[in-house]
Amino acid sequence: MARVDRELCTGCENCLSYCSVGAISIQEGKAIIDERLCTECYVCIRNEICPSEAIEATPIESFIHQFQHIISDPTETTAQTGVPGRGTEEAKTNDVTGRYKKGEVGVCIDMGRPGIGCYLRDVEKIAMAVAEAGLILEGPETTPLAQLMTDLKTGKLRDDLPNVHFLSIIIEGKCPLNTLLSVLKALKKVEKEIDTVFSLGLASRVDEKGYSPVLDIIKQFDIPQPIRGKVNVGLGRPLVTD
Amino acid sequence: MTHSLHRSGSIESLRGDYVWLMYQAKGINDKNIKEKAKEFIAVAEVVGSENWGDVKSGPKVCLPVEEIKNKIGDQSRLRGVFTRKGQVVQFLRMIKEKELGISVIISGLLKETLEACKEAGLTPHTINFSLGVWGRKELLPQEEILSITTMCGHHMIPPGLVREMMEQVKAGKISPEEAGLKLAKFCPCGIFNQVRASRILATCFSTKA
Repeated sequence: MARVDRELCTGCENCLSYCSVGAISIQEGKAIIDERLCTECYVCIRNEICPSEAIEATPIESFIHQFQHIISDPTETTAQTGVPGRGTEEAKTNDVTGRYKKGEVGVCIDMGRPGIGCYLRDVEKIAMAVAEAGLILEGPETTPLAQLMTDLKTGKLRDDLPNVHFLSIIIEGKCPLNTLLSVLKALKKVEKEIDTVFSLGLASRVDEKGYSPVLDIIKQFDIPQPIRGKVNVGLGRPLVTD
Repeated sequence: MTHSLHRSGSIESLRGDYVWLMYQAKGINDKNIKEKAKEFIAVAEVVGSENWGDVKSGPKVCLPVEEIKNKIGDQSRLRGVFTRKGQVVQFLRMIKEKELGISVIISGLLKETLEACKEAGLTPHTINFSLGVWGRKELLPQEEILSITTMCGHHMIPPGLVREMMEQVKAGKISPEEAGLKLAKFCPCGIFNQVRASRILATCFSTKA
């Protein structure tokens, strides 16, 4: 875990601007890291920002802190999904995995993003709302958050984790296209009940012009048409065509 | 991981920002990827990818190219950034010819990216559409900061550091290019676009001066 060696710290305050979630502060002339806020992203450690080398990584012993670090530090790899970063392939390999087939839509809810961070209590609110609306949540073999769920069908998380803080973590699932509207309605309602932000991505198969029926569903819901996207150009082999 | 999807900024600014990703799929084509990854790097270098890297070792702006190449393993993820649509077209054409069988993703403005696919003779398979930010948007920092921090979707670029760079550029202590490069070093994947960042920093300075 990230900690400050108070013997080495000179109280120069250089580190303060390097923490995205404001976990570092100065108390009694020395820097201190608030464990409740720290997401274990290790930006402060990896980039050697302390001129006195007072910030160090100590062994992480508990499962949840290890999980927190692996999700927040993109140089780590999530063991179960085998993917670095926040540990999911989503649409990036859909040309060979076929995770999202024609007639389906993948929903990627980046909780806490951009840069605000999120507590699992808010993650659970969103996960349970979209699951109730018909989103089929991804399992632990494809998305890390599922490791913390006690019930994939409802999106319920373990009871002992509501105050665990992440820089961001992804709620992932998919549903038939005709269920998307109810999922979006659920998101519109629950977004008012959380103390953070999320970024939303919708993944689907497209035609040669990049058209997807998802775009028509968005119009019905009065959401601005997307201007950015991540395009899988179909060069993976063997190519999934269904 | 959707870390390249939700980049913020004006359309004009985003026209100079395209992320490329090479992505092997677990259990399908994720073994012995080193030689294929080196092919991607070779093409990226020919086309002039301004920044690229491997999340397992670091970005080109921090490490010698040969060191990144030598450290490539099956858990590596190669990705980088272009500043012009023409580079995307050239990159896609060259990668297509090599028939490497690894998934390739371009993240950028949809209109321009789809045009690039067409010019390269490729049919898009799947798109992850960005539907923007939801929830308590009043918590977000100002747009200039967001347009820089979102160039690392893992949020390894602290907003406080961007503010500091803006102040140093404004005070003439550092050039926009130097500030952009310093920020790029915090993104281990190599998808931070230091060229676009320096433009934003320079514009921000001239606007506020």
